[in-house]
Amino acid sequence: MAKINIDNFVKNYGDVKAVRGASFEIADGEFVALLGPSGCGKSSTMRSIAGLEEISSGMISFDDKPVNDVRPRDRNVAMAFETYALYPTLNIYENIAFPLRSANWPSEKVDERVRDIAHRMELESILNSLPSELSGGQAQRAGLARALVREPAVFLLDEPISHLDTRQRYRMRQFIKHIHMELGYTMIYVTHDQEEAMALADRIVVMHEGVVRQIGIPDEIYNHPADDFVAGFVGEPPMNFIEGSIARVDEKWVFQTKGQMVVLPEHWQSYGQKMPAQVKLGIRPFYIDVTLDPQQPYDLQGEVFLSENLQDNCTVSLDIDDLRLTVVTTPAFRPARHEKIYLKFNPAYIRFFDLQTGKAIRPQ
Amino acid sequence: MIELRNVSKIYGQSTIALRNLNLQIQDQEFFVVYGPAGAGKSTTMRIIAGITRPTQGDVLRDGVSLLNVAPENRDMAMAFENYALYSHMSVYENLAFPLKASKYSKQEIEEQVQRVARILQISDLLDRRPGFLSGGQRQRVSLGRAIVRPSSLYLLDEPIGHLDAKLRHRMRAELKAMAVDMNATVALVTTASREALALGDRIAILRDGILEQVGTPQEIYSLPQNEFVASFVGEPPMSFLDVEPVRGDGRTALHIQGSDIHLPISPRVAQSLNGDLSGYRLGVRANELSITGQQDDSHQTPGSVDVIEPLGYCNIISVKVGDGTIRVVVDPTTRPEVNETVWLSMDGENIHLFHNEQAIVHPMRSQKVKLNNNIHA
Repeated sequence: MAKINIDNFVKNYGDVKAVRGASFEIADGEFVALLGPSGCGKSSTMRSIAGLEEISSGMISFDDKPVNDVRPRDRNVAMAFETYALYPTLNIYENIAFPLRSANWPSEKVDERVRDIAHRMELESILNSLPSELSGGQAQRAGLARALVREPAVFLLDEPISHLDTRQRYRMRQFIKHIHMELGYTMIYVTHDQEEAMALADRIVVMHEGVVRQIGIPDEIYNHPADDFVAGFVGEPPMNFIEGSIARVDEKWVFQTKGQMVVLPEHWQSYGQKMPAQVKLGIRPFYIDVTLDPQQPYDLQGEVFLSENLQDNCTVSLDIDDLRLTVVTTPAFRPARHEKIYLKFNPAYIRFFDLQTGKAIRPQ
Repeated sequence: MIELRNVSKIYGQSTIALRNLNLQIQDQEFFVVYGPAGAGKSTTMRIIAGITRPTQGDVLRDGVSLLNVAPENRDMAMAFENYALYSHMSVYENLAFPLKASKYSKQEIEEQVQRVARILQISDLLDRRPGFLSGGQRQRVSLGRAIVRPSSLYLLDEPIGHLDAKLRHRMRAELKAMAVDMNATVALVTTASREALALGDRIAILRDGILEQVGTPQEIYSLPQNEFVASFVGEPPMSFLDVEPVRGDGRTALHIQGSDIHLPISPRVAQSLNGDLSGYRLGVRANELSITGQQDDSHQTPGSVDVIEPLGYCNIISVKVGDGTIRVVVDPTTRPEVNETVWLSMDGENIHLFHNEQAIVHPMRSQKVKLNNNIHA
């Protein structure tokens, strides 16, 4: 196990700048997710930590020792990829034992270790099976077991479960969390799936176009996104954004958009004059109350585009002029297309972003 | 109406892609084919389109066999996941192609291409060649080409699977609204539970080439016929516990394996038990349960917290109960400690019960779905 420091790390492929100066620290035993869309630099970062890529500049250290010039196999890093290539002619026991035998472990030690990891990974009943006889989930667990058997300093997982179906994904998520809780490895998990990152990681590093946009625990990333990219990328259905301006009306600070307005929540009022004139209001689909009754107090009005009954909730798409918003409500509320609908924002969950820079505005 | 009658498809000597499939797609219906990889979903679409010939069985439209009708004469529009765009044509020309082929006027072509491009948010890409598009953009062009012109049936194989979350949500709603507005008949393949529930008037669930269940989203969700359907529809997936019935004092309870918990069940649920003593599993949905730190009248089943997954708008708590695990969705402020004892609101009336993987009873509120559907049928 090791703590890892990434210091001003840059990775270029020719003219392509994959990572533009990333710095962060991963504590010993911490579970960190590198999250972002394809091309954000997350895989380059992970491959550089593993030593599979030479870094362009900056420093990567394990336990305060630079590893820039340490060969991959001497870094004691274990990796698991989505494609878990098991050796087809070896049974699962021998597949798991392979890294230990290569490292010349004595055979009784090998046996002890293989049986221990097989027990933890629920593979005992299939140790004598060939890879071709396993289900997808079993093969994946066997691949993980082989990666983990050598007690690595760092365990790297690159989209290990993204091609599984929903049931298997939930099961594997639980499983990976167990591995971390029981073995306590430092783990780095690369994914484009925000829900996986939220569910699994102690902390999340959100990347976009080679830049680290935010580092934080899941709660911070979700509730206090640093900018509109993080806000829109994390959470499903995605956060609603409304562009507009801040103005003073009837001695209150308000947000104006599409000829309508939202009075700023109480805790924003004293901050109103410090806000940029042009902003983006962000609010998640879970934090908007909707009604068909215009007599109820409301912030904005729109027209129903479509109600989708997902059984455990109803997802309402609605339009305010050319702006489409999404609201998640109870399955019993299913307004018809083109009905007038009235929105009330939960003031605690309203976020503002600078329209120019995209940076979050925080009242203080 | 499109009908698949006893359709089987065997590739090579023995790879069975579909096994004796019977399906009916009604006119103006949004019909979703849902299942895991290898279920036979795409094969089903290709057989309807006429690209693949069934090994056995028949495909009919309004009672007339289509087997000897060439794909181009079936009046069906297709968007398949790997359906190639014309690489030497611009996006505009790709979208215009089906309209040109049916002799639309220049002005009609312009209107329809612009309309579809607006809906799919590709208006700014019309001059580009497919080679300069991202996967998600190509997928939208492919979908656009399928829906640009009226057709008796739209066959869409994972048409929005490659889009990012924001676009996928938007396009899902656009697709449904368009189908409703045009009274279109649509058959759509998906591997996403929420997409199936949101889009389908009816959903067919396939596994390993076999039709597991077909019904409205409400039926599929509330009255799953077996454990596979129950676990595959809805998110988080339904949780299951092995149980054995125990009778005494004229009452029946379910003993949860690996624990000393006996869950009393109602006479209605008890009636569903057959003579067997084993092979029973109970199923509960994560959003239909609650947990408390202290035992009370409605929280009587103890368990220990195994894993906490914070998703922002909710936390998913996995609770070990006996040999099994139950997932519960709670609000984000509820954050018990790992290994802490919590109490679950399990209720012997509101459970799904399965015997040898087949459903034998559903919660009382699900029964209302059945009644409602019978009234409306």
